[in-house]
This record gives sequence, C-alpha cells and structure tokens, in this order.
Amino acid sequence: MRLIRNKYLQYLLVGVAFLLPVIIRGVPTATVTLAASMVYTAIAALGINVLLGYSGQISLGHAAFMGLSAYLSAYLTKQMELPFLLSVLIAVLVPMLIGLILGAIAVRLEGFYLAIATLGFGEILRQLFIEMDWFTGGFSGASATYPKMFGHQFTKVEMYIFMVCLLVALMMLVYNLVRSSTGRAMIAMKSSKTAAMAMGVNVFQYKLISFAISSVFAGLAGVCYVHFFRHVDPTVWTAALSLNLIAIVVIGGAATVGGAVVGAVVMHGLPELMKGMPIVGEIPGVPLLIVGILMVIMLIFYPRGLIHIPRDIANFFQKRASHAKKGEV
Amino acid sequence: MAQVLSVDHLSISFGGLRAVDDLSFHIDRHEIYGLIGPNGAGKTTVFNCITQFYKPDAGEIRFTDQKGKEHLLNGMPAHKIIGLGLVRTFQNTEIIRELPIIDNVLLGAHTEFRAGTLANMFAMPWARKQERELRKKAMDVLTYVGLDKIANEYAGAQPYGVLKLIELGRTLMCDPSLIILDEPAGGLNDSETERLTELIRGIARDRHCAILLVEHDMKLVMALCDRICAISFGKKLAEGTAAEIQQNPLVQDAYLGKEDDA
Repeated sequence: MRLIRNKYLQYLLVGVAFLLPVIIRGVPTATVTLAASMVYTAIAALGINVLLGYSGQISLGHAAFMGLSAYLSAYLTKQMELPFLLSVLIAVLVPMLIGLILGAIAVRLEGFYLAIATLGFGEILRQLFIEMDWFTGGFSGASATYPKMFGHQFTKVEMYIFMVCLLVALMMLVYNLVRSSTGRAMIAMKSSKTAAMAMGVNVFQYKLISFAISSVFAGLAGVCYVHFFRHVDPTVWTAALSLNLIAIVVIGGAATVGGAVVGAVVMHGLPELMKGMPIVGEIPGVPLLIVGILMVIMLIFYPRGLIHIPRDIANFFQKRASHAKKGEV
Repeated sequence: MAQVLSVDHLSISFGGLRAVDDLSFHIDRHEIYGLIGPNGAGKTTVFNCITQFYKPDAGEIRFTDQKGKEHLLNGMPAHKIIGLGLVRTFQNTEIIRELPIIDNVLLGAHTEFRAGTLANMFAMPWARKQERELRKKAMDVLTYVGLDKIANEYAGAQPYGVLKLIELGRTLMCDPSLIILDEPAGGLNDSETERLTELIRGIARDRHCAILLVEHDMKLVMALCDRICAISFGKKLAEGTAAEIQQNPLVQDAYLGKEDDA
C-alpha cells in the first residue's frame, strides 16, 4: 500500500494502464485512437490545470495554441524537412512566447475580462489558420507524418507509446513543480493575491510562468495530435475545445496532477461508452445527452473532482474500521 | 538612537477624504510601537502605505535594514518589501486556505528560495535540499508559536485563533527587523489574547526585531508597547508611553472617552 503512495510510481502505473491497448493482442485500432485522444487532451489539460487549478487564471484561447503547434510542426517537418525534435522545439516555443503575451495581459485583466480577452485571442488565431492557406492548407488542412527520430521511423503504435511516455513525464514534472516554492507561490496567488504580494511573490512573474507552462503543454498536445492523426484542420481548435479543457480539469479535479488525466479519460471515454450501450446508444444524439446529464450530476455531487473518489472511499472504510475497533475495546 | 522605520509627513486621500493627513513618526530598533485610534482613523491605511499596497500622495517612508542600509520605500513594488526585512499581517488574516499550515508558513520564506521554475520542475537535488532546510525552519517557527502538532493540517479548516498564529508565524520566516501587526488580537478571546501578548513580547526580545501594531484591545496595547501613537481622522493626536497616552485629554476625548460611551 505504501509503495502505491509514491506519486512517481502512480504516474508510471497510469502510463502502463494507457499502454494496455497496445500490449494486449487483438485490441481494435479504434481503441488505440480513442486512447490517443485521451492522452493528447490530458497533456493539454495538465497545462490548463497549472493555469486554472493552481494559479487561478483562465484562458479560452489554449485550443488555438494547440492548433498553432500542430500546424507549425506539420509545416516544419514536411515543408522545411526539419528534424522532428527541432521542429517540436520551435512548435512549442512559439506558443510559449504568445502565452507570455497573454500572461502580460492577465496582469491587467482578471476573471471574466481575461476569459473574453483570451477567447478573442484564440479566435483570431483560428481565423488566421483558415486564411493563411500557404501555411495551414486553409479549410482542407495540412498533413503530417509519423515522426522520425534518430533515424528510426515511428509507426502508429510507437507514436502512441511516445505520447504516453510524454504524458507520464509531464505528470512527474507538474508534481515536482506544485510541491515546490513555485507551486506554493501559484496557489498563494490564486487564494490571496494580497498575502502572496506581502510575502514577496511577484504576481506578474508568476502569471507569466503559469501562462508559459500551460502554453508549452498545449503546444506539446498539438504536436502529439498532428503526428498521431497525421492531419490538422481548423475545425478542431475552437473555443469549444478550450472550454472542454476547462471542463476536464474541473470534472477530474482542479489543482491535482491526476485530475487532468481522469477528466480527459472520462470526457473522451464516456461518450464512446454510451454509444456502445444497447438501445440508448443507437439513437443519434442520445448518448451525448446522457453524458451531459452525467456531468451535471458529477459536478453536483463531486464539485472537487472525480480524482477524490478513491480517497473518500478509503477514508470511509478506514472510519468504519476504526469504529469497529473502538467497539471491540 | 538607531531607527528602523521613519514616516515623514505621510498623506493619502481617497476621493477627497484625507485618510492620512501629514502623519510623522519613527520606530526605534527593538521597540514595540503601537498605533491606536478610533475606527476609521486611518491606521490600516498607514500600514498599507508603509508596505506599498497604497501609494501615498505625499511624505517619505524610510526603512533601515539589518545591515544599517537605509531604503526609501516610496514607489517600491509591494512584493519587494519583505526582502528588506519588513513584513506584515492583515486585519482579517490573509491565509492560503488550500495549503497545509506548514506551507503557509513556508510562503513567508518565498524570497529565500533560489530555485527557479525549471529547477523546481526537475526537482534538482539542491532545490529539494533548500526546501527541506526551510521546511525545518518553518517547523521550528510552528513549534515556537505552538502549532507544531497540527503542522500538516489544512489551514482552511482551522479556527480563527489558529489562523492568527499562522500569520504571525509566517512573518518570522524572513528573519524580519520590523513586523507590522494589524489587530493581532482581533477576534481572539481573553486567554488567547494573553498568550499572544507573551508571544509578541517574546518575538521582540528573542528575535531582536521591532514591532509596529494596531490594536483595539487596550489592555494588550498598554501592556506591550514601549511607545504609542494615537491618531484620529488621519492626524496624530499624541505620542508617548502608555501612561502618557492614557492621561492625554485629547486622546481621552477622541478615543478612550468614546469607548466608554459605547
């Protein structure tokens, strides 16, 4: 039991669980594709969690960052024939710089105003995706290949394994971050800006940091997307996706590392599960309706996020056990 | 006499209301200095001006650090103040409710941490080592204020008296030379106040730092303060020892008299 409390090991186990579809023989490719959707969304949501869950900042523009990185990586690897890792680096640094600009805006704007500003920002980017067709392929989109690294050409399954490894590594990095002085300063900034400032936290700096980190994560998610699905078009990177990321963080558990992953799995898995159900799954629209209702129910009964369910169950049994013990004495 | 803080001709107005009006005072090293006055007299505003949460319209605020170097605080960003060794608490407590008590105290050492974002992300051994060392220091502080047994409990679940102690403990992490306490005994019961009085006296003595406090509990003010400054409508009424202040007719009119009526 104690071993499982080690967070690194927990994250490795999450990775192993994600790898099951490629380890077990005879799993349909559709399942691997679904799992890949969960993984790239979880990577972006992990970043949103640093931004929203830990730092208390909101952005409705991060889907556009994902798109920007996806286009960049597609363009750099295909048109400019740059090595994969170099193009990833560029594809992630560009959104980071834009993220820093958003962070600077966030110093002036808070709450709803920040939400509107980032929403506008994201929509401008998305319009550019449509207009700049020499770069993005316009409405029909751009294509990419599975990556080639150190002379080795990745297959679909290998790309998926790469994504899972990336997710596990990022979970560990976020865990390290949030239990350090940086994470403390972020949480302080979210909870009481006054206290944070009085204790020497440069609020401007930490807003920039949280926007930069979340933009990099969104960028990595975009890179994963484009090199797994090998295609990118402007219909994906809407504000709806940004809202989805926020929903994932809230449903999974804000300000927890695992929450983003749990949320991503539920948000992608539940609709598929419902579609697979007999009778209700066969009527168009009904599965999504049920998913919507389930989410409302989850938010009512578990506003802190689904990630807390196992601990609450454990606490429940512990309490019962200790009551029973008292009874014996 | 070496001064730690001097406030000269401080004034600030909010939309035509003069909250602080040409106020001057200074605090000596190791001194416990009290600021009293009726509600709305501008006491907290003075604190906010000193710690640069408000930017005063006029007047100079100077602070001398541990090494004897003088700093003009006017115009400094609020987050830079603590680095000089000047730290404050808040009237209604500003606690990070979602962090454990010990992490709230650790926040007080924020400016000590050398590790940047990347070093923290990759959990560099030297960064973790500093975290462990400061965590130990925070534990010592918690032992000092008597909260060591509940160090890992969440701050949000604690009663008001504990929150006040967390805030007080948090100020000790930066090895301050001046602590500003905004109503440290506000909302505390008699026995808690008595313990707090001892604690504040102990901090000033053991940690060689000066204390500037605002407080409505006159017993605490009179028992603790070396000197007291009474203000009303942002203006200084009188300054002196507890006995002098108590006998001052102006103060009695403006403040103590009024309290008797209520």
